[in-house]
Amino acid sequence: MSQRAGQKRKVVEVPAPEVEEDADQLDLGALNGDFDGESEEDADEESEEDEDELEDDDELASDEIPSSEDEEEVRQQFQDMKTSNGHSKSAQSLMGSDTAKDVAAIATDTPITPLNSDDAADIPNYTVSTDANGNLRYIYGEIDPVYDSDDSDAVEPGNTIGNIPMSYYDAYPHIGYDINGRRIARPAKGEALDSLLDSIDIPEGWTGLTDPATGKPLELTSEQLETLKKLTRNETPGDGYDPYPDMVEWFTGKGKEEVMPLSAIPEPKRRFVPSAHEHKRVMKMVKAIREGRIKPYRAPLTEEEREREEEEQDFATYDVWATEQPREDHVMNIPAPKLPPPGYEESYHPPPEYLPDDEEKKTWEEQDDEDRDRDFLPRDHAALRKVPGYEQFVKEKFERCLDLYLAPRVRRSKLNIDPESLLPKLPDPAELKPFPTTNTTIMRGHEGKVRSISIDGSGKWVASGGDDGTVRVWEILTGRQLWRLKLSKDEAVNVVSWRPGNAESSILVACCGESIYFMVPQHELCTPEVDAKSREILDAGYGYAATAAPAQKTSAGADKPTAASWARTSATLQERGCLLSLTLRTTPKTLSWHRRGDYFSTVSPGSSSASATAIAIHTLSKHQTQYPRLRLRGLAQTTCFHPSKPLFFVATKVKVRIYDLQAQKMEKELLPGARWISDIALHPLGSNLIISSYDKRLLWHDLDLGATPYRVIRHHTKAIRAVAFHPGGLPLFADASDDGTLHILHGKVVGDSLENATIVPLKVLKGHRVVRELGVLGVEWHPREAWCVSAGADGTIRVWT
Amino acid sequence: MAKIKKKGTSGAAKNYTTRSQALRKLQISLPDFRRLCIFKGIYPREPRSKKRVSKSSTPSTTFYYTKDIQYLLHEPLLGKFRDQQSLAKKISKALGRNEVSGAVRLERNLGVKIKLDHIIKERYPTFVDALRDLDDALSMLFLFASLPSTENVPPKTIAKCQRLTLEFEHYLIRTHTLRKSFLSIKGIYYQATLHGQDILWLVPYRFVQRTGGDVDFRIMGTFVEFYTTLLSFVNFRLYTGIGLVYPPKLDAKSEESGAELSAFTLSGQGEGAEQTEGDGMVDREAQEKAQAAADELLALPAPASEAEEQMPTSPQADQNGDDADAPEATTTLDQFTNLDPNADTLLQPSLTADVQAAAALFEPFTIFLSRETPRHPLEFILKAFGCKRVGWDTSLGEPGAYCGEDDSGITHQIVDRPDLPLPSPPLTEDGVDEDGMLDDGVDDSLAAAKRPSNVRVPGRVYVQPQWVWDSINAGMLQRADLYAPGATLPPHLSPWVKAKKGAYDPTLPLAEQEAEGEAEEADGDSEDEEVDEEDADDALDDASEGEEIDGVRGDAEARDLEDELVDDGMDVHLGGSDSEVKDEVVAGAAEADEWGGFSGDEDVDDASASKEARAHQAELEAEARGLAPGVLGDAKKVAREAGKSKRAKEEREALEETERRKLMMPRRKRKMFEKMVYSNAQRDEGAEKLRGKRRKIESGKTKVSAK
Repeated sequence: MSQRAGQKRKVVEVPAPEVEEDADQLDLGALNGDFDGESEEDADEESEEDEDELEDDDELASDEIPSSEDEEEVRQQFQDMKTSNGHSKSAQSLMGSDTAKDVAAIATDTPITPLNSDDAADIPNYTVSTDANGNLRYIYGEIDPVYDSDDSDAVEPGNTIGNIPMSYYDAYPHIGYDINGRRIARPAKGEALDSLLDSIDIPEGWTGLTDPATGKPLELTSEQLETLKKLTRNETPGDGYDPYPDMVEWFTGKGKEEVMPLSAIPEPKRRFVPSAHEHKRVMKMVKAIREGRIKPYRAPLTEEEREREEEEQDFATYDVWATEQPREDHVMNIPAPKLPPPGYEESYHPPPEYLPDDEEKKTWEEQDDEDRDRDFLPRDHAALRKVPGYEQFVKEKFERCLDLYLAPRVRRSKLNIDPESLLPKLPDPAELKPFPTTNTTIMRGHEGKVRSISIDGSGKWVASGGDDGTVRVWEILTGRQLWRLKLSKDEAVNVVSWRPGNAESSILVACCGESIYFMVPQHELCTPEVDAKSREILDAGYGYAATAAPAQKTSAGADKPTAASWARTSATLQERGCLLSLTLRTTPKTLSWHRRGDYFSTVSPGSSSASATAIAIHTLSKHQTQYPRLRLRGLAQTTCFHPSKPLFFVATKVKVRIYDLQAQKMEKELLPGARWISDIALHPLGSNLIISSYDKRLLWHDLDLGATPYRVIRHHTKAIRAVAFHPGGLPLFADASDDGTLHILHGKVVGDSLENATIVPLKVLKGHRVVRELGVLGVEWHPREAWCVSAGADGTIRVWT
Repeated sequence: MAKIKKKGTSGAAKNYTTRSQALRKLQISLPDFRRLCIFKGIYPREPRSKKRVSKSSTPSTTFYYTKDIQYLLHEPLLGKFRDQQSLAKKISKALGRNEVSGAVRLERNLGVKIKLDHIIKERYPTFVDALRDLDDALSMLFLFASLPSTENVPPKTIAKCQRLTLEFEHYLIRTHTLRKSFLSIKGIYYQATLHGQDILWLVPYRFVQRTGGDVDFRIMGTFVEFYTTLLSFVNFRLYTGIGLVYPPKLDAKSEESGAELSAFTLSGQGEGAEQTEGDGMVDREAQEKAQAAADELLALPAPASEAEEQMPTSPQADQNGDDADAPEATTTLDQFTNLDPNADTLLQPSLTADVQAAAALFEPFTIFLSRETPRHPLEFILKAFGCKRVGWDTSLGEPGAYCGEDDSGITHQIVDRPDLPLPSPPLTEDGVDEDGMLDDGVDDSLAAAKRPSNVRVPGRVYVQPQWVWDSINAGMLQRADLYAPGATLPPHLSPWVKAKKGAYDPTLPLAEQEAEGEAEEADGDSEDEEVDEEDADDALDDASEGEEIDGVRGDAEARDLEDELVDDGMDVHLGGSDSEVKDEVVAGAAEADEWGGFSGDEDVDDASASKEARAHQAELEAEARGLAPGVLGDAKKVAREAGKSKRAKEEREALEETERRKLMMPRRKRKMFEKMVYSNAQRDEGAEKLRGKRRKIESGKTKVSAK
């Protein structure tokens, strides 16, 4: 747009007088309205000419007279055929008026000038008008594809009538139709033009003929004309034309003779040409024969010759390893093992000590061939001449052959080391002292098995209970029996246990049958203060049962039989020191005390008892029994309390569960991998747990580590019955097994969790007899010393120091 | 979902094929497959897990490595086997049509000859590989060389084996590469070192081999076929390696007459003329033949001129030759002895490890082999260790001997007879006995015509064959007097046994190898047995022992005794038994009170806990008795007892300690440990047994010698 504006400005710059003059002439022309050929007009003022021509055209059209016109007019006509004449005209006029208006707006009173035709190409191809609403409206004109436009469809304008004789149009003023359906006017002819023709030079190549196809004058170049002229005169048409060219022999001449035989006579032999290839091959054979590679004829061999030949072939005549290349060994290729060299015993005259004595000779002869450690019997021959032939020689060689091709070969790496180096290094047991080594005291008295033992907190007394239904108290140092009480005639005392605590009180608990008895042993070493204190502790719980939760009533109104009943014992028992009894409906097999001595738990693993009542926790000070709901899977075996935290360990047959009693939830579950746990023991620090099992294993669990054991110790040949840690801080633990031995091990636990526990086996204590597959049933440690006490199935209690 | 893997399509199942699968794949019969496996050296494998490999439930399936079988697939021999099969079919067809001549023609013209050259090259890519595998080949071929021909073993095979083995022996003689040899009850072991490879083979004694019914000669024949090809290539390489022509010329005539080694003529590659084997030797051979013929005609003793001829050629400096083994060679190796028993002992090459030493061992000697000695092994060994002049009795027409028995140049004569007297009684200083010459049944009358063949020729050393073997194994000449005819020989020891820690070594004195206190213990244990134990072994040993100590066989009585022993075996009771009993009594007198002590303390071993206490008590008792005079024996006994108990205690403690440590081992390791301990214990037990026997023998000896 700016360009266009610039153009407009350029137009404005046209000097005014000229414009005025043009305008005058235009006016004049318009006024005249006639075409004056003589009127002097500037050749370059085409616009004016156009104007005139247009007017002429109009005249022609209106008059319908094809007047003779000059060449330019004809050309113009053809030009007009390109574009829509009428449109351009109107457009031009419109444009002119518009521009004029614009110009007028800039400079008033200036006459409107039509634009230069040169500029016409740059004239925008649209008009601006107002539509019905009074807005500007651009009306675009037809696009005029000029010659060098990139419109490929632009074809030469032509007559569209097709291939019909032009005579059809003789009666019409036009000769056909252009592409737009407009008539094509017949070119002017006749007298009207003659004068014009005279005035105009004949264009080059003018022939005066009309090309019938186009209706245009036919033009021929001078050369063409010349050629035509020569042809009409029977002359040679051009310079390069040779009227007499040489003949090309396509089918005659040398090598194109006919090959068809003209006679059936066979080819004569003189015409034979021998094959060079065959000759070559024959010569090769000749050469081979000369060199001896081919033997032309071989006389049949006689039998001797053949044999000799064969014999010669048997021996090597060349070196197989002339070009030897080592091959690297393959893993799967195992060379045959060499036979071992003979030893001294194979000598014909061995040293006398290698000769077998009669017994060895006899065993060798009796053995089968396969069982013999060597395949010959050493023999002594005083001289070489006395050595007989070895009878088995061929057989041995044959067997070697069989081995070579029939025996599977296996590569075996032989470990040639001192077996001592395989043994682990252990600290010297002397450094780990003290630990029990010898049996110092044996306490006899129980009839039948001693099922349980317990050492008093003060470390002076051992209590024991056994199959005979008695509870006995022994002095640990002397092995003297201090006190004895028969609790039952027919039922065994399963557990005896001292109430933990200081020396102020001494309360012994024993489980016999379904009852648990609380006793204050009456013996000479028991002072009255201690006795009184103990009785006080036992009596403290009376009354709680009444004030506790009201007894549950059954639907019938009677008291529901409680699971546990605390009661005074009979007078006879009271006299002997047994003061309190607790009767459960199940048979407790283990009993473990809480550190403070107020709580204890019992486990009744019997299959008859419901799992809900298998584990009971009792409060001594309140004479109360609770059954925690643990929802165990499997039979409960034993329990224990953590020494410092409110944790409760419950061992079932294959698992150990740790419950937090405060939070009332399960803290952890250990999977020792044992098939049947027999006993558990917690380290006094509470960080490590040992589990013994009936399947001969001892499993050390570090509770800081995972659920699987840290060490699995399998030293016993029979089931392990009991295991115990030393309670007094010595790094010792012991286990009792059915093979009649006790194993004392060193198990050092370091306070910080970075270091793992060290376990060293120290001592195997043998002494207990195995009675009916049962060995040692219980083991207990002295609270301070490195002594332990064991209870055996043979009815003895042994003290090991 | 992933594709379900089919069983038996990958892994171990694919790596192994059973034998029947292999047969199906190769499309050959089982005997052919067997032959192919033998030729190609293919053997069954033991898969790590049989269950994973086997598709059937049969437990005793043989598995082959699949790649081995695939490798057999393009074996040219397979084609040959098929040709053989088709030929057999054709022949049987022809025979069925009664066309015998056609069958013969077929067999002659189409007979398949199997060559194994390519297999040799395949199996042994290098020459050294072939040498490494030569042990079995040589043992087998030497066996076949000595077998009689049967329908299973054609004479051609035997001849071939003989020829190849003799060629190989010739090479060893030529290069002096034989290193060791050993006379065992099975045969003679030889060891040669070729190209750094130790080759050990066994040659049977010349007896007719017993071939039981359970020996399949087809299999052995296949092996022999392969081994002959192998050995012939090895021989070719060995011969051409030292510039000899292979195969060496074989004189068929002399071979037939029994000249084993000397039937061959080795010739160098450059010169066409035969040479080597000592040109003098060949000349000598020819001379010898001519001489023998002349002798037969004239019945004259061998001319002295010949003997004189020999004299300058053979530089025998010493006629006695036995103890004067002058250390002339400087290239021989020195033996290093370890002064510090704790230091590591290095393995030392044997004295005959280098060619020079081996070639010089018997070089200065002219050795004659008596008729009764094994001629071939002795000839081979002597020649391999440098002896150029080996003669033997040619009365049976065996060619190749250097000289006859009468040759004056002979320095050593190897005899294997009870004893030989010296010819003229006045000359002997050793004492002559007439009864020495009666035993070997030699035709006395004939020999007596010119010279009794059973008497010694003065100036020669008479030795038994073992002297040769012991000399070469020791790398130096042994004392000839120990190996004199009729003498009880020292034990012949295997040269390949290496002294191992804990194992028994008969060459060392007993005291060096015994564990602490072992002797004492054994003493105590065996004392009671000793009284009644008196067997021929001991008798024999003390007899020889006595001789060893004396060094000279002067004593007529001793000789008498020896002869008796040698002739009648070992179960002779000696005449001096009553004196021994006396001796026993004398020896027992000192020990009499010891026995009382023993009976008192017999349960010491059992009650381990109270042992120390008892030992202490014994000590106290000894102390108490020590006051009294003449109870020195008691003190000794008590000391021994104390030592015993102390040792027992130590042992017990050590055992306890190991038990304790074993407890902390993982199970797998513990099992391994127990296995090792067991095998070590086996070894120790064996060694201890041997030591015990020796102790018994030695104590018997000392008693006899004391007597």
